Amino acid sequence: MPAPRDPSPDPKNSGRNNVWVQVGRYSQLALVLPSATIVGWLLGTALDHWLHTSWISIVGLLLGSAAGLIEVIRTVQRDTK
Amino acid sequence: MPEQLWFTAILNRLFAGPVTSFLQAIHIAPKHPAAPIPNSVAMELLVFFFLLALFFLLRSRLSVDSPNGLQHTFESIEGFVLDQSREIIGHHSEPYTAFFAILFIFILVANLIGLIPGFESPTGVPVVPLGCAICAFVYYHTQGFKHAGPKYLMHFFGPPMEGMPLIARIFLAALMLPIEVVSHFARLLSLTVRLWANIFAGDLITLVFFSMIPIGIPIIFSGLHIVVAVLQAYVFMLLSIIYVSGAVAEEH
Repeated sequence: MPAPRDPSPDPKNSGRNNVWVQVGRYSQLALVLPSATIVGWLLGTALDHWLHTSWISIVGLLLGSAAGLIEVIRTVQRDTK
Repeated sequence: MPEQLWFTAILNRLFAGPVTSFLQAIHIAPKHPAAPIPNSVAMELLVFFFLLALFFLLRSRLSVDSPNGLQHTFESIEGFVLDQSREIIGHHSEPYTAFFAILFIFILVANLIGLIPGFESPTGVPVVPLGCAICAFVYYHTQGFKHAGPKYLMHFFGPPMEGMPLIARIFLAALMLPIEVVSHFARLLSLTVRLWANIFAGDLITLVFFSMIPIGIPIIFSGLHIVVAVLQAYVFMLLSIIYVSGAVAEEH
């Protein structure tokens, strides 16, 4: 049987001391920016098809880039606090 | 007829008729009506039934006094996942551990099955990682709603903005809503692409080197493939834990 675990870890720590948790988080960063841009563009294109317009895909592209950038800033901020 | 693995050929021989009828009933025309089940789905089903059989075996042999090797292995995996989720989510992470553990085990077995001759990794085809990513996506939103109720929707309007004028708060919330929606869907895409690309590349590299130098070198790349398979299963589980942690956080 495994040894009993510590019943009261610090939730505020949020895995910041674990190097593998950091590896997981930072490996995400490489994909966040392109994924968000593509998803923004795809959602915009879908809305364009639905509403018979041609400008929402451009707005989606810009919002996607902004979303990716915000996600990167959030991750860095969380780990440097 | 597409190229089929032996297991896919058996499934198609047995179930091609009912599967084609079902697909046509839901207005999907299969490309090959005589073989509608692709290798990826067949391998996914194989992993599913293998794990089901393994868990039935494990359940029938559970013992507190004299645990066997299989029980020790799964207790270690469960302990590892519980430690990880407790470290990220906090002390209330126990209800989520079962989902993270099965996600980790399923992806790990699906990644590793490709190393056995005659099989291929279902995660090397984009639809399977996408299915896993959709499960994680639906799960963390469901847990967010279960935890906070309708207040969970506040997550989509950006961080709390106390002290700001109402007009500015409404403007910022309206700006943050599409950005948050896009960023949540981007998680779906990044989870899918990471797992699929790593496993696909691992399979391809092993195959290329095996075709060039069939002795010795493929073993090194198979070893590398095992490391990548374990790491990617771990990263997928870890990111799911991080997303659940964000959804059940108490800040809103």
